[in-house]
Parts: sequence; structure tokens; C-alpha cells
Amino acid sequence: MLNKLYRAALVTTAAAFFAVISLASFSVNAKGIYQSGPDFFAEVFAPLQAEPKVLWLTPEIRAQAAAILDRPVRGLRIRYHQSNNKTAWILEEIGKEMPITIGVVVEDDVIQQVKILAYRESRGGEVRYPAYTKQYLGASLQEDYRLSQNIDGITGATLSVWAVNKVAALALYYHAVVIQSSATNQPK
Amino acid sequence: MRNKPSPNSKSVNGIKTNILWHRRLGLSTFVVLIFLAISGFALNHSPGLKLNQINLSSNWLISWYGFEVPVAEGFKVGGKWFYQDGNKALLVDGDSVASCTAPLSAIAQTTGGVFALCADGLNLLTSDGQFVEQFGAIDGLPANTQAVTVLDDRIYLTTGSATIDSVTMEFNADSLGLTATDIAPQTLKDIQQVAVPLPKLLQKKLKQQSPGPSISLETVILDLHSGRFFGQFGVLFIDLIGLLVCILSITGLMAWMKRR
Repeated sequence: MLNKLYRAALVTTAAAFFAVISLASFSVNAKGIYQSGPDFFAEVFAPLQAEPKVLWLTPEIRAQAAAILDRPVRGLRIRYHQSNNKTAWILEEIGKEMPITIGVVVEDDVIQQVKILAYRESRGGEVRYPAYTKQYLGASLQEDYRLSQNIDGITGATLSVWAVNKVAALALYYHAVVIQSSATNQPK
Repeated sequence: MRNKPSPNSKSVNGIKTNILWHRRLGLSTFVVLIFLAISGFALNHSPGLKLNQINLSSNWLISWYGFEVPVAEGFKVGGKWFYQDGNKALLVDGDSVASCTAPLSAIAQTTGGVFALCADGLNLLTSDGQFVEQFGAIDGLPANTQAVTVLDDRIYLTTGSATIDSVTMEFNADSLGLTATDIAPQTLKDIQQVAVPLPKLLQKKLKQQSPGPSISLETVILDLHSGRFFGQFGVLFIDLIGLLVCILSITGLMAWMKRR
């Protein structure tokens, strides 16, 4: 009886040890660049090639973007790719200390895809898993510039989740700006 | 014939010698003892006095502790100084304009703007120093890019550390595209702008913005108290003072006992 108990305790300890080691190696492996910008754009618009474009940040756009991100926006222009009503953006936002590079695809004012292209923080890399990013599919921008859908957080990755939420909302805002601008500039 | 000294006068002489040495030891150690008493009091009450929150960063103290105080360098382009703050910012004449992980390895200027190559990417700026955008590794910047150079108003990136491994590519700032070119890396290296020490005014401003290494007052007092501030010699000196204090106590005790 004691032998059985001893074996069970040994197996449980070994399993717990294995689980801890696996989790530790996972958190180390979470850092890195997963996809380059050109590859992301090519994948999003395949088999077609979308037109690379530039959105110049006017003071109004900059002010609204700063309100969404809750910090001043640096840079005078943002690059994106567009094909009809579909736009793809690569934006960066700091999670805790390091920037997270996020690719966002928007079509007809709703999010089609959110993909983490580069994650540089030591913890919180769970945000790159499709199980998390698929929550953004179909999300649109409300009047208060927040996402229309509730996004479930991840324990231990709160700041990274906030960063992805902000970038998703910002991409929707930029998309609305460029679609509105192209509609205004279209010849009648 | 000399008179044999009486036991009583021997004892008086002994007391006199003892007191003489006690005085000498006292005189030679009292300044250090007072310092040790005050510094010991300060260390005992360090949390209350918040000594660990007072940071000292004077150049001589930092050098004394073995920290290197590098002379801040930058690039003068179009009458403006471009430099890195030691953390993660690119400064233009004292104003932080963009993120820039050290080192800021090269700066080049065309009629269209300024290009600052940092470890995390190539920053594109307007001629007056406004940040436009960054061309980073994720956008296609080669990982081992060493320099950015402008020749005939065209922008060239040089990759590879050794001349034999170097490759040059032309960079299009509008499309962020790279195309191969046959310009020799050495040709570009010869015209590359090199970093020079910043003017004293900017160095002073930089130090205020980014003070660099500092030593807490608690550490300095502790090192002075133990003698470590002056290296091995200082420790031996404090050891000697400790020994003298022991002798001082013994001579004091002997003088007191003999007077009774």
C-alpha cells in the first residue's frame, strides 16, 4: 500500500516538474519575429497583389489616434496595403516594456484577421495564439472608438491584451479614415 | 654612583609613560573615531534618513568607482545635432524625436530628409528633424546593416561588418524598397559621416536628461566607514585604527587602575 502511495507521489512530482519545465520553455520561446511585413501583406492579399499606400497623419487623425492609444503618436505617416474595401495594417504598441508588432486586416469596417508578427516581451506571448486572436474576428469600431466585441483577457498577459485591443481599434479607425477619404476623392 | 630608583618612582614613571602613550594614541585617532561614530550613526539610521535614495553622479565619483563615463558623440547634419541618449531615444538638438536603440551608427542626409541608422531600424526624418517613420527588420531591413550613406542624393545601405563581406543596396525612401547596386562598399565608407563629440552645452543637457550611472549616498558612506572607498589601503587603515582603539582602551584602563 505504502509502495503504491510512494509511486503515485513520485509520478505526480515528475509530472508537475515536466509541466513547469514545459511552461518555462514556452515562455522563452514566445519571443521572436514570426512573420515579416512583406510576407504578411502577400499572404493577406494572395493570390492578388494589393497596392501599398501611405496614410499621412493630419493633426485630427493624430489626435484621435492618440486618444485611442492613450499616448501621443509618433511619426508622420503610416503604411498600409489596400485592395478595394480591404486594408491591412502593421502597427506597433508597447505591452509592458517592448513593442508588439501586430498585423490587422480590415474589410468592410470589420476585422478579418489579427496576427502577432513580432513579440519581444519575456511574458504574455499567449496573445499570439489563434485561440486568442480569433476573438477579434468581426469586431467593428463603436462611436466611442472602442471595439464592438468583448475580448476575454489572459491571466499574466493583461498588458499585452490591452496593447492588442488598442491596435485593433486603431486599425479600424485608420481603415475608416482611408475608406472615407477614397470615397470623397472618387470622381463623380 | 647613581641612586637606585625606588619602586615608587618606577611606578610613577610607568604611569607617566602609559598616560603619554594614551594621549598620543587618542590624539592620533580622535578625528577618525569621530568620523566613524558619525558615519556609523548615519548607516544605522539609513532607512529613516533615506540615504539609499540619494544618488550621487559626479564625474570623479563615478570614475573612482570604475564606471566609464564615455564622451557623448553625435552627428551634425544641416546645422542640427543628432545623437542617442543612452537609453532608447533619438535626440535632435536636445529634443527626443524617435525611438532609437543604441548604437546610433550612422546618419545621412538627402534633399528629402535625414536617415538615422539605429540598432532597431532606420529612422526616416524630415530635414528639420521630425520623425516620419521607421524601416525596421520586420519591414525588410537586413539584420546586419552597418551604415547608411548618401551619394548623389541616393541612399545606400551597407550590410556586413568586414569589407570583404560587405554588400551595398540602394534604398528607396518612398517605397521602403531595397535594390542591389554595384557601388563598392569602400567608396561609401570613405564618404560616411563619423560621430564626433557633442558640444559641451549639449553634453550638459544630455546629462540632465539621462544622468547615467550613479552611486547611492548609503554606499559611499558604507565604503568610507569600512575604508573600502580607498581600496585595500583604506581597509588596512581602518584595521589599524581598530587596533589602536583596542590599545587605547587598554592604556586607559591601566592608567585608571594605577591611579587607584
